[in-house]
Amino acid sequence: MTSFEYQEALKNAARGMVRVKNPTRLLKMIVRFIDREVELDQTSILIFDQPKNRYYFVASKGNHRIPVNLIRLDADNPLIQWFLRKEKSNSINKDFLTYKQILRFLNNWTILDSDASLQRRLEEVKEQMELFKASVCVPGFFKGELLGIFLLGHKLDGSDFSIEELSFFQTLANDASMAIKMSQYHEVLMCRNQELEEKIHEVSQLRKKERETYYQIIFSLAREVHTRDAYTYGHLEEVEKLGVMTAQEMGLDLSGRKRDILVAALHLHDVGKIGVPDSILKKEDKLTEDEWLIMRDHALRGAKILEPLDDFEEVAKIVLLHHENYDGLGYPYGLKGEEIPIEARIIAVVDAFHAMVSNRCYRKGCSFDDAIRELERCAGKQFDPQVVQAFIRAVRKRLQPKYEETRGYEPLLPSFEKETSD
Amino acid sequence: MTKMLVVDDEIEICDFLKTFFEERNYKVLTALNGETALKLVNQERPAIVLLDIKMPGCDGIEVLKKIKQAHPLTKVIMVTAIETREKIEEALRFGADNYITKPLSLEYLEKDVRDKLEQMV
Repeated sequence: MTSFEYQEALKNAARGMVRVKNPTRLLKMIVRFIDREVELDQTSILIFDQPKNRYYFVASKGNHRIPVNLIRLDADNPLIQWFLRKEKSNSINKDFLTYKQILRFLNNWTILDSDASLQRRLEEVKEQMELFKASVCVPGFFKGELLGIFLLGHKLDGSDFSIEELSFFQTLANDASMAIKMSQYHEVLMCRNQELEEKIHEVSQLRKKERETYYQIIFSLAREVHTRDAYTYGHLEEVEKLGVMTAQEMGLDLSGRKRDILVAALHLHDVGKIGVPDSILKKEDKLTEDEWLIMRDHALRGAKILEPLDDFEEVAKIVLLHHENYDGLGYPYGLKGEEIPIEARIIAVVDAFHAMVSNRCYRKGCSFDDAIRELERCAGKQFDPQVVQAFIRAVRKRLQPKYEETRGYEPLLPSFEKETSD
Repeated sequence: MTKMLVVDDEIEICDFLKTFFEERNYKVLTALNGETALKLVNQERPAIVLLDIKMPGCDGIEVLKKIKQAHPLTKVIMVTAIETREKIEEALRFGADNYITKPLSLEYLEKDVRDKLEQMV
């Protein structure tokens, strides 16, 4: 191989490393590449298994290849120790190790004299290299950590490795180590990421559960209020349907959360009445000034109950303002016209209609037509005239036939009366 | 020379261990499956067997049982990638002398073979 070819090969290898996330595949590619381009009787790579603190063969090629998955080298293996240990003698280069170098060292008494253990260690390394039929070992370091070792056999043409070739392997080994480290980081990150995602999921599940519980409590509170308030005229579901139909008649956008917000507000608008005593709620006579203040307070109380829920912000606002009047004479703030959310204006109409037609404990409900006439009379004052018109269209579509028959509004309640016998 | 039998369905492993132990003065026979292994055990009476478990046909545990039935004194070291507790217990129950998992340390394998053979003497 010429110097130019090596540079090209290096560039290609480097490009490959960037692409490959899996180091095993990368190392196999490198081994295949060396085997093909340099023609050796054996090319193998040892890779560091950090959790187990040992090295194992990840790939091997050539006639004298080493069976991958059979052998591991523990951290105390002489070959591993050779590259991990700092040598006292400056003449020992650790960028790579050739079999011939070992033989030279073993014959050089000046070097051997510098370190008492050196001869023994060299003998042991020599034995390891013989065992794996390696003529050259090239360590791959990344930030001082030995992450892999290239074990190279003999060239098939019998020649020695040139300095150029050795420095090529050295660069390759270090680049490969960097790639190994990167992929380890990647794996660790993926792992952490997954753990984090699981935690986030767990927390969000808990939050969801908490929210669901809160919803259930609020909705059962609302149901409780409606029962206490003697809203015997119909189910909350009926209120919901009329409210939604009115919105549809008006051509409002009910996409996404908008419909949910309207429905929740229709169900929950009177939830604040949970704090109003029966003596006031069910009082037949006119309320005193103080009692009226308590009664009026239910809008604010309702909003307060809903406030702790993140995604009930809009609902809480609607509940707070469902007794505002179109002409600005309502409560609690005296907002007027468009200042009042459209959902609150719808609830005002639906609620008033039901109050009029219901059979309360203290009075019988008025007729459907009377109620409609009353709504029309108050349009532009208490109510948004457009909402009133839309509501009338909706209510006629849905309920009128039933009213004609019963004159009083109990059509949608299941009958609990005993069947009369003949 | 001590006779050893290496049983593994991967020919490269057989060849590598054969060279390794031949260089350490063993006479090494190899078998790529359980049937050949049993035949060689009966014919050649090796002192020690290195036995893989996962093999096509007769698996290592079956071979172990039959070796220990016919030749209880033959040492058998399981050499396998399987490291489940159940498999290890099963092998030891049927008389395996040791259980070494791949990838293995050659130094440890060599020492263990030596130890097991010394026990026989």
